[in-house]
Amino acid sequence: MFDIQLMGLLNATLQAATLLFIAALGELITEKSGILNLGVEGMISIGAVTGFMTAINTGNIFLSVLVGILSASIFSSLHAFVTVILKQDQTVSGLILTILGLSLSALMGKKYVGKKLPVKIESVFNVDEPKNIIEVFLNQNYIFYLSIFLMIFTAYLLKKTMFGRRLEAVGEDSKAADSMGLNVNKTQFIATCVGGGFSGLAGVYLTLSYVPYWTDNMTSGRGWIALALVIFGGWKPYRTAIGALLFGFLEALVPRLQTYGFELSPYLVKITPYAITIIILIGLTIYKGGRTGAPSNIGIPFFRESR
Amino acid sequence: MNKYLLSKKIIINELSTFYSFLIGLSIGITIGSIILLTQGQNPIEVFSLMLKLSIGSVKSISSSLNKATPLILAGLGISIINSVKLWNIGAEGQIFMGGIALNFIYISSEISNPNLMIIFLLASSFIGGAVCILFPAIAKVLFGVNEIITTLLFNYIVIGLTVYLVNGPWKDPDSLNFPAAAYVSKEVYLPTVFGRLSYGFIICILCTLGVHYLKEKSVFGYELRIAGGSALTAIYAGINAKQKAFVAMLIGGGLAGLAGGVELLSQTHRVSTGLSQGFGYTAIIVAAITGMRPFGIFLVGSLFGALTIGGSVIQTMGVSSYISDVIQATTLFGALIAQFFFTYKIIRVSEDV
Repeated sequence: MFDIQLMGLLNATLQAATLLFIAALGELITEKSGILNLGVEGMISIGAVTGFMTAINTGNIFLSVLVGILSASIFSSLHAFVTVILKQDQTVSGLILTILGLSLSALMGKKYVGKKLPVKIESVFNVDEPKNIIEVFLNQNYIFYLSIFLMIFTAYLLKKTMFGRRLEAVGEDSKAADSMGLNVNKTQFIATCVGGGFSGLAGVYLTLSYVPYWTDNMTSGRGWIALALVIFGGWKPYRTAIGALLFGFLEALVPRLQTYGFELSPYLVKITPYAITIIILIGLTIYKGGRTGAPSNIGIPFFRESR
Repeated sequence: MNKYLLSKKIIINELSTFYSFLIGLSIGITIGSIILLTQGQNPIEVFSLMLKLSIGSVKSISSSLNKATPLILAGLGISIINSVKLWNIGAEGQIFMGGIALNFIYISSEISNPNLMIIFLLASSFIGGAVCILFPAIAKVLFGVNEIITTLLFNYIVIGLTVYLVNGPWKDPDSLNFPAAAYVSKEVYLPTVFGRLSYGFIICILCTLGVHYLKEKSVFGYELRIAGGSALTAIYAGINAKQKAFVAMLIGGGLAGLAGGVELLSQTHRVSTGLSQGFGYTAIIVAAITGMRPFGIFLVGSLFGALTIGGSVIQTMGVSSYISDVIQATTLFGALIAQFFFTYKIIRVSEDV
């Protein structure tokens, strides 16, 4: 009996972590280029609602995922336009993007509240009641495997490819990158839109698999957690994945605490990952002399003439 | 083949932020109208109703100004912190902490003189907000930890604490299933000036004047600007930049806490998760869009209060209140875009120069 509960917990952990991780990975790519996008919450909402609408109307899963990714990516290009091309403040623009994304998705999805999905992202191997860890892993859906692939791919992309090196150069010292002939604006613009696309994928996962329906504000703060995850992970894909598992575990654990007979307040348990993130951040800053892994140019608009 | 370069304008129109805001507002209203049309509503009808219900009568104006009060107070706090070139993303958490501190003092003391008690409670909410930013401030000045991230993370911690308190130790048994603390006694409600306008708005006016004086006219404000401007200049001028940054952060956090205290004593009358409806985040935008000027924050904050009230009442017409959020967001994006054209000029140069 306990075993089945434990497997249920593991399953819920993986599902919660997948969503958080995909969004965080996208934000990581954006931030690597020196652009801070606080609009993750809004971008996930846009991806979630457009994916859901497509699924209801067409019943085509593949198309829904594609539409979710593309629309969130186009939506994030608004942030890219305002901050990269027009050099306006990234903090402000990102916060507005959150408000716009949440309200716009609520308006778009108004007619879809309470509708039942004709399709759902299926598990790769349908295991009815997973009895061991392997079966739990096999029971996950395609997006879970895609996220593992994206993690390895992003880590490779950042460290081994020209695109990754360019991204890092721009994020660390945009002026030096510019004088070396890199197109700073183009790199930052692309990185922002790629980040938006990842958030869109997280959104589609939310409405087509994690909780298969649509209501307003259903992201319920997950976008903000994704932002915290990037910091927790020190701007590294693998460490971000560990963070996602931790946050996902706590999200899965909280509703189960009472069935396990713990007297611990679930509300206080929910705070712990944030406290841990702050402690890790301070620890990293002290021990590494300020080198937390944050791109040095984050939040600073690149303006050629201010050299 | 031509190439385009950006150049910062040397002379920027004094009123440029005001003009950008007006341009943004017209963009916001245009987009709002388009959305209303697609939903089968008459925009003119909806907007005139919004105007009537947000600024059409003394009653509605006072509701709008009450709504604006926490926005303006938190925005002022953010502007003080920004004079040392630091960001406070944690105003939302500080608003809640102000409410928590107020309620804590309220339940652990007895009321002998209600007026004195109100002042005492508001002071405790200010201190609550300051305590909430204390940790990020220490981490910033001692270790150089990025304040954007720590203040943001503290929002979750404080909101988590609020959820814990209203579901656990402070839960009011009379609130049925709604998680909230017990109402404060009517004696300590902030009185109204006229109509529904709470004294909180008077506090808000006083704080606007105070922050304007502090930032623009006082020695302290001048020192803050130097500390935020250049580390070397600060050293030459004998200004302890870290100390100034620390004090500015505490005052800014305190003002956001005060926003929570005023909101509690004048509007919600109890601690719950509904104490702030994203005021802390909107305040950041309001402060930034006005170039961190206290009077600008006051004006734009008031307008946003009216827009929020207007947005919540049009729901009765079957129009989603999210329309007003979309108008707010597009107004702000429009203002940001317009601001670009006031501060930069695009120069065309030919490639072979």
